[in-house]
Amino acid sequence: MYSLANIDYFIIIIYLSGMVGVGLWFARKHTDFDDFFLAGRSLTTPLLITTLISTYYGIDVLFGDTQLAFTDGVVAWFGYARPTYAFFLIAALLLAERLREDDFKSLPDILDFYYGKKTRYVGAVTSFIYSLPALSLYGFGMVAEVTLGWEPITGMLVLGGIALIYTLTGGFWAVALTDSIQFVMMCLVIVIAFPYAMSFIGGFDTMIETLPQSFFDTMGDLNIFLIIIYASTGLSILVEPTFYQRIFAARSYKNVRNALIIGIFIWGSYDWLITILAMSAKVAVIKGMLPPDVAPDAALLTVVVAALPAGVVGLFLAGVLSTEMSTLDSYCLVAGGNVSYDIYKPAMKPNATDHELIKTTRYGILLSWVLGFGMAVQFEQMLGLWVFLSSILISSMLVPIMLGLYFKGLRKPLAGFLSAGAGLFSTVILNIYIMTMGKFDVSEETYVIQWFGIDFLQEFVMYITVPISFIGFFIGLLLQKGKQR
Amino acid sequence: MSYWEIFSWITMIILGIGSITVFILFLKDMSQILKKFQEE
Repeated sequence: MYSLANIDYFIIIIYLSGMVGVGLWFARKHTDFDDFFLAGRSLTTPLLITTLISTYYGIDVLFGDTQLAFTDGVVAWFGYARPTYAFFLIAALLLAERLREDDFKSLPDILDFYYGKKTRYVGAVTSFIYSLPALSLYGFGMVAEVTLGWEPITGMLVLGGIALIYTLTGGFWAVALTDSIQFVMMCLVIVIAFPYAMSFIGGFDTMIETLPQSFFDTMGDLNIFLIIIYASTGLSILVEPTFYQRIFAARSYKNVRNALIIGIFIWGSYDWLITILAMSAKVAVIKGMLPPDVAPDAALLTVVVAALPAGVVGLFLAGVLSTEMSTLDSYCLVAGGNVSYDIYKPAMKPNATDHELIKTTRYGILLSWVLGFGMAVQFEQMLGLWVFLSSILISSMLVPIMLGLYFKGLRKPLAGFLSAGAGLFSTVILNIYIMTMGKFDVSEETYVIQWFGIDFLQEFVMYITVPISFIGFFIGLLLQKGKQR
Repeated sequence: MSYWEIFSWITMIILGIGSITVFILFLKDMSQILKKFQEE
């Protein structure tokens, strides 16, 4: 733990109070469910840029990019982050316009439109599980422990609780507005931290001299199958529920397209700088400036807090809290919408009023937070949970959504249901099997199981489950000739 | 100065200027949106 100056605490308290204030201000402003869940479909390009970027960062920042950069170097950007931009470009140029052609509100809405209610429910359950804020809450625990010296559970309850309050009260308007404030904070603190970190370790040349050459190899010494899997996690963007929510909440398709194209430059710059910061943490560890037992996933936090002066540390911590809060609030809201709009309304009360939907969404937000908290406390290896959550979405949603969107002749209810169901079921079973029967390999930092003499990493699950979803789709097509929606 | 370092400073400038510009544009839009809320 690092000792914080009073000014740092002051900045953090001001920031947290501001977030709650925004939520309370919007609490009574909602006129209907569209307004609560999609901000009345009126997001402009700047609002979309800020909310897309701040939401997407959080989990990746703390667990993905920086951990990989700390252990393997620039491959974190070239192998893991860079392919994501290609998927964002695809989304900007091909996906967004197609999605805005119909009046969808959520990802399961699309499945319902193409394949019917049963597939909608599979999609809603998948989206709900994927959106559980376990990783964000775990991140709050880690931030509170490393920087404030709190017990992780206290950090989760206090910091996660604040994000819960403004999401519950303010809905998507509060999420979008706080995301925008959080966006500028998280970007600027990284901009400020970069020169300080370089000066802390003795300059960029020191980094090049100290780190092994492999740290500057664009593909590193990572297993090629692992690089392909890391790169393909970017596919999740094409079926990401919070991303879809923002496309539906935009004023028009053009706003989304412009926001994504501008956003790619900001994303790329942000990713590169946090990669370099995590590498500077490695240099500091090698040179004995930081303790040797720095956890790879806390590398960014540790080096920046050590390098920055008082006052700026408070600003940085508020920025890190921003990164996590903007992720947690968005996912909780989507999970709440899955409960109310995607399950409660079609399955239990088709004529539910807007007031009832907003109320049920709030219950759903609360439920997702509580379940996420339970998972964050229960799971020992959060990286395993992260792999599980990202694979579940791609494995069950990618095939039916993409085929449904672009091939009208393939929109058959049984095909969609079998594809989504088989993808979901196989991902859950395989992940549970590997996490319970395999061993956590510290050097690979993942669960590994021996199959036919081969080390099968948990990340490889998608190599099996996506083809299963694909096969399920075509079995459904064969079994249901003629019936098309 | 290595290419890595030059690239890093360029990304810092893009991130700094880009985020401030987007935030200023956001404030401009937000003032209109908040006005609408207050009228309602």
